Amino acid sequence: MATAALLPTIRAISPLREMGAYEALWAEPKASFKSLAERFREFPDRLPSDFVSEHQTAYFTQLVLQMLRESGVMQFGIRVHRAGEYPKKLRDAEDPVELLYYRGWWDLVDTPSVAVVGTRQPSQQAIKNTTRLVRMLVSDGYSIASGLAMGIDTAAHNAAINSGGKTIAVIGTPINQVYPKKNSDLQEMIARDYLLISQVPVFRYSQQTYTRNRTFFPERNKTMSALTEATVIIEAGPTSGTLIQARAALAQNRKLFILDSSFRNPELEWPREFESRGAIRVRTYDDIRKNLSLHVHQNR
Amino acid sequence: MFTKIDELHLPDHYHLDGSDACYFIGEYTAGRGFAHSDTNQFIYNLKKSVDRRGLPEYRHKEAAIVQAGRVLRSSLNPEFIRRGTFVPIPPSCAEDDPLYDDRIAEVIRAIAPQIDVRKLIRQVVSTPGAHLVQNRPGPRQLYENYQIDESLAFPTPSAIAIVDDVLTTGAHYKAIQRILQERFPGVPVSGLFLARRVPNTE
Repeated sequence: MATAALLPTIRAISPLREMGAYEALWAEPKASFKSLAERFREFPDRLPSDFVSEHQTAYFTQLVLQMLRESGVMQFGIRVHRAGEYPKKLRDAEDPVELLYYRGWWDLVDTPSVAVVGTRQPSQQAIKNTTRLVRMLVSDGYSIASGLAMGIDTAAHNAAINSGGKTIAVIGTPINQVYPKKNSDLQEMIARDYLLISQVPVFRYSQQTYTRNRTFFPERNKTMSALTEATVIIEAGPTSGTLIQARAALAQNRKLFILDSSFRNPELEWPREFESRGAIRVRTYDDIRKNLSLHVHQNR
Repeated sequence: MFTKIDELHLPDHYHLDGSDACYFIGEYTAGRGFAHSDTNQFIYNLKKSVDRRGLPEYRHKEAAIVQAGRVLRSSLNPEFIRRGTFVPIPPSCAEDDPLYDDRIAEVIRAIAPQIDVRKLIRQVVSTPGAHLVQNRPGPRQLYENYQIDESLAFPTPSAIAIVDDVLTTGAHYKAIQRILQERFPGVPVSGLFLARRVPNTE
């Protein structure tokens, strides 16, 4: 050790290297968010690069950087657990993500935010409800998070933008991919002017079929819930991925709001199920407002 | 834990390049105010003007200095704390100015009592804070306004860390790095920052 250079830090996180290591971990065939979270639970002081060889880390760093650049993603950011500005609120998730990719304005993560989500095949009324609700949330000072899917998600992002608010897209594809393709422009706009977040590994995604990659969608719902203080479900069928987020919201101690229209639909059992576990039935906007932080603070 | 400035951060600090060994703890979001994040609150407290001295609010500044010392101590190499030389980036107001703020040197002293902190860099003329002037000076202009305080140059440092609270463009760091490398050839120079500044959406 006597000849080693005197370095100011014992170790410092290089987000780019951690990205390479995360991608390498995901390149292992059995990797899942659950299996990764288990590894980090077992070794809570470790970083992704502690599980991967120097060589592998360097290889995947370069590979993924190149993949991102080739798809036109020149600027992006990384959040890694244990480095500054990793959102502590993510740790409320059952299997918290160790690393996130983002594009756009990270400061939106620290603004009060509400997730507005729902079915990909909404009724006209549901779209109207989304737009109206988002407008009110925006005027109350909330940023609107959603998942950039068809239907309610798209309506929520658009309503936030059109009413002069801020929006966060937590997507189920890597930051260099879009699903559905129809939302390419919207995704680019969000990445440029707002905030786009993904936990999905770039390399692994490029190696899998669409069917395998679909499993990433519900995972992002758990992250979206953890990043926000509440989730509002506008409309969702009994098998909708939205219900994954509903479950996560309650498990993470987040507020869960379900619009009254879902309760009035005789075919749906889930609204009452969630209500019995703590979800709030929304008859008027005030049912939401009075349960959110900005209202509580104002009236303290 | 420190994060090392890498390629992903460089666009925010355009005077730095990939060869600079710069480290930071948190991210300070410009223009977002005190309450925006823990890091913002911390930096606001630390930068609280010295003309508030004696007022109750001033304890927030003192607490922030202690906290900064603690965070740095737990993130630094203990061997470097013993043997490295810490050079604060000089504040914009000179020592005879009533608004002279010695906070960076105080932060360094809060790391460990015996630490080698040296105010090696002096300004030839006092400058207004970078945020107060229209055209921020580049590394070259800053360099021309800096000189080494020769009374503090001995013994020759074995390694130098330039310390500041917020890394912005990197201009001050580059200017000081240059003057130190000229004066102490071969001595490694790195940069330690409590936060790096990131832009905000507004």
